Amino acid sequence: MRSSWIHRRDRRGVWFVAPFLLGFLLFMVVPLGYAIYTSLYTYRIIGGTSFTGASNYTQALESGQFWSGVIRVVIFAAIQIPVMLAIAFFFACVFDLGVAKFGTFFRTVFFIPFAVPAVVGAVMWSFLLEPQFGPFTRLTSALGFGNTNFFSPNLLLASIIVIVIWEWTGYNMMILYTALKSVPRDVIEAAILDDTPLWKIIFRIKLPLVRPAIVMLVFLNTIGALQLFTEPQILEYFQTGTVSVNYTPSYYIWNTAIAGDQTNLAAAMAVILAVIIVVISALSLLIRRRRGEFA
Amino acid sequence: MTVTTAPPPASSGSAVAAPPESRRQRRRKERLAARESEIPIELYGLPRGTVTLLTTLAFLFAIFTLIPIAWIIINSTKTQANIFQSFGFWFAGPFEFFHTFGLLFQNVDGYGTFIQWFGNTALYAVLGGVGATFLSALAGYGLARFQFRGSRVVFYMIIAALLVPLTALSIPLYLTYAKAHLINSIWGMVLPSVVSPIGVYLMRTYADISVPRELLDAARIDGAGELRIFFRVALPLMVPGLLTVLLINVVTVWNNYFLPLLIFNVNTKYPLTVGLGLWSNRAVNSGDANLYPMLVMGGLVTIVPLIALFLVLQRYWRGGMLLGSIAN
Repeated sequence: MRSSWIHRRDRRGVWFVAPFLLGFLLFMVVPLGYAIYTSLYTYRIIGGTSFTGASNYTQALESGQFWSGVIRVVIFAAIQIPVMLAIAFFFACVFDLGVAKFGTFFRTVFFIPFAVPAVVGAVMWSFLLEPQFGPFTRLTSALGFGNTNFFSPNLLLASIIVIVIWEWTGYNMMILYTALKSVPRDVIEAAILDDTPLWKIIFRIKLPLVRPAIVMLVFLNTIGALQLFTEPQILEYFQTGTVSVNYTPSYYIWNTAIAGDQTNLAAAMAVILAVIIVVISALSLLIRRRRGEFA
Repeated sequence: MTVTTAPPPASSGSAVAAPPESRRQRRRKERLAARESEIPIELYGLPRGTVTLLTTLAFLFAIFTLIPIAWIIINSTKTQANIFQSFGFWFAGPFEFFHTFGLLFQNVDGYGTFIQWFGNTALYAVLGGVGATFLSALAGYGLARFQFRGSRVVFYMIIAALLVPLTALSIPLYLTYAKAHLINSIWGMVLPSVVSPIGVYLMRTYADISVPRELLDAARIDGAGELRIFFRVALPLMVPGLLTVLLINVVTVWNNYFLPLLIFNVNTKYPLTVGLGLWSNRAVNSGDANLYPMLVMGGLVTIVPLIALFLVLQRYWRGGMLLGSIAN
């Protein structure tokens, strides 16, 4: 039973939420609304800005440039995320079971790249992979593979995958390690007493119990991968001509808005990218909700 | 991790009657009970050499992780010519570390001073991080402990906001600033950083588990005002959660690149990320300015404070909190 006194008191909660809501309105809702508004107009040198409805959207959707970037980040995500999560899960299990020495030391080392800004990470790897003097290029030629150009169109995506794996594996491992630590100890003890082999303990008991964590990481990493921007942009800065203007959707949007000065078209593409990401997120939430994994 | 516990003494009487398997089981049970937290690894029945093999694999991945860090430390001591020509993983004279470090305090090529970018980043990170943590604590507490009209709608709005990608939001912010004359304003950088849906989400979860309703009611009966209760009763109980949210937000602002790249076009406002990006673009044409050593040194000086912060605050970094709140 809630008295009216409690009701009146409860209303005061609004004041605690109000500052955040004001910021939310001014810096999320208004800009998104303004971007949608902008995307419906077109600027021409003769005639100025005029309402053109969906024409920016048809232009973006019909251009192969935008979609080739979308396809590239999907391929990137399809390779980078499984490889990274496999490495992260492997080491999380190893450290959780305590079957390698110096576990605490290794966990700390693996986590270090998380503290490195993506810009600095990309700059360091640009030096390391540089096609003329970089230590990795020298290594491959010393090993007899000839001069490998890690920035060539064939190897560029692989190079970016390595950079992103370097940046994010430790963070993902930490999350999985924390999840594995919360698996009840008596469950594992019972399995050991039953003579269950270790691989079965890992794949039949631990993996299913940390599946919500893995699903969440797939989801977060996918959102990150679709927005891929910093690494290709820095590589292009470091060595002009390496990365095409439409390499990823975000990079193409930036180029369209700043270098191309077509803000209306860029706004339309930003809205399309946001919709793609929100749809994927919402679908994955719905699936998880149906399975009862998300409250 | 070697196990030092001595094997428990075998009890002679029952061992004869019991079948061999249950005897093994009982020994295992005793070994398990002997260790409080860790399960002794020899109970997993692993083949010999497994620990060595896995330690080696971890060692190899640690080398992969540390290669760029080692490279940037070693090459921060080199001249521009040596960065490219000498062996990347060993030192080469002359030792230029202090000379290059000194250049970070000068406007070498007329396109900006590193130390100013460092100060800008620190300012944006502190204002954005503290502001975001404070607003998140207020809103999280408000949502966890009050049921006002529309509180569920607000909560669902925050969940929806979690799905809006930062990149997709940066372009709209840039367009809005261009209209509102906020280009090159530091508030254009700080104020959006203060709005942290993930922070509110985490603080709501944390307030829910750490601030007992009874305590609040007791304070109300004593006649304390709501704001006073928040600052004196609720906030101290939320400190561990606050530190996690603060750390997340400081790192997010420190690492943010896309938004400042869009909204700043004068180099006195740049944060580190944008300044270093600019150098990596200009270095190839910098000629006598020798920007490559400064780019390396600047990268090193950028990452040292963050790595130090993480090593110091590691115990406050609750990956589990992030996880638990989203997975439950």
